[in-house]
Amino acid sequence: MRAAVDVTDRQTAGEGAANEPLVEARALEKWYGPHAAIRGISFDLRPGDFLALFGPNGAGKTTLMKILAGALRPTRGEIRMAGAGARDDDHAWRRRIGVLSHQTFLYGQLTAEENLRFFGRLYSLPDLEARISSRLTEVGLSDRRKDFVRGFSRGMQQRLALARTLLHDPDLVLLDEPYTGLDPHAARMLRSVLEQLRDGNRTVVLVTHNLSEGLELANRVVVQVGGRWVLDEHRSNIDEAGFERLYGERVGGEG
Amino acid sequence: MEFLRQLLTVAGKDLRLELRTRERMVTMFTFAILVAIVFGFALSPAVEVRLMAGAMIWVTILFAGMLGLGRSFGLEREQDALVGILLAPIDRGALYLGKFVANLALVLSTAFIIYLAYAFFFQLQLTGSGLGLILVTFLACVGFMALGTLFSAVAGGTRQGDMLIPIILLPLLTPVVIFGASATQRLLTNRPLAEVIGNIRVLAAFDLIFLLVCTMVFASVVEE
Repeated sequence: MRAAVDVTDRQTAGEGAANEPLVEARALEKWYGPHAAIRGISFDLRPGDFLALFGPNGAGKTTLMKILAGALRPTRGEIRMAGAGARDDDHAWRRRIGVLSHQTFLYGQLTAEENLRFFGRLYSLPDLEARISSRLTEVGLSDRRKDFVRGFSRGMQQRLALARTLLHDPDLVLLDEPYTGLDPHAARMLRSVLEQLRDGNRTVVLVTHNLSEGLELANRVVVQVGGRWVLDEHRSNIDEAGFERLYGERVGGEG
Repeated sequence: MEFLRQLLTVAGKDLRLELRTRERMVTMFTFAILVAIVFGFALSPAVEVRLMAGAMIWVTILFAGMLGLGRSFGLEREQDALVGILLAPIDRGALYLGKFVANLALVLSTAFIIYLAYAFFFQLQLTGSGLGLILVTFLACVGFMALGTLFSAVAGGTRQGDMLIPIILLPLLTPVVIFGASATQRLLTNRPLAEVIGNIRVLAAFDLIFLLVCTMVFASVVEE
């Protein structure tokens, strides 16, 4: 297996748009007792990066996402966003991050707009009602704004969760298995909304087991195995037809 | 100011959800009335209920309140909404106090029903000592919910958490029960308010300590 890839001096996809990295991670490690979930990962994330993070179960992908979200502290190493650490000002860090998981973080007994209003108030957002209308339109739910979320299909709930994720206009969007539980039609609809995130201004990290979905959206491809990055390539250097074989080689017996 | 706004946002959301589902209210109110009925059947007509009503009322408030506490963070477990809140730039103290305010409103409304039920079934006179009863009940419920909100968060992160709440909570609530029940008892037997001022001071002191400690501890309970 290839050693961990240090990408600190590599050219990343969005580098042309902005040279300053949004996120700088150096020698990150996360240990749970004797078990290492993350083993010395270093990377930069720049505005415009749409990174697809692949890896087998237990590779430490979700742990890495939690560290990026500021929800977990690395055991060793350092992570900074726009030059500041998560512990310097954790509220400022959280304002810059939006997280979409396979869990929606929504309340079924509230309407679509009540859910967004609740989260918008936690972020103390100005012009909240205008933002809510705009986000609901973007995800195609403006005509369902007054409906209870419990009556939504799984796909509609996930689109509303995306509206919640983007409500505060985050710089870094973390998508953790967003397609889980969606039927093919709902997955297609979610993908069409996610495509709008490739605007060159945001940084997106997508964790998925679906190789083709990831490759379709990403401009940077990473494979994580055993807490290490064993592949970090620009999307244009990846041959889609041969990626499954390459992924299998990198993952080895871990998948 | 932002702290207060976030606190009210969390409390408002919890109360809105409760008013919509009435899950906890129905359970707590029904339980409270049933306990009063059971006492009515169980106690001999020769027993003068007025002399032990304080203890009966507080046992009912405690168990009805604990029934509702289990759902306080259960609301947040569905679809991991608590994770969504923790990822937002919200002060953990505001989150704790928001949940506390919503729980307090629920337990106070349950206590109101309990007093009405006991007045109805046992012909207790509440009007003469009304102000004192309101004050004592409010202070004792503040202490109860200060600890209860924290431990419902602790229990929310464990398997069979709902069963843990009474086991952990009841021993810690002993001072609240002792001072709350004895003050209630005296007021129900038409003793003057001045006689329970000491109890009121002690309850207020416990409230202050519980609220301060729980607000500080809450972040470590819900994070990581």
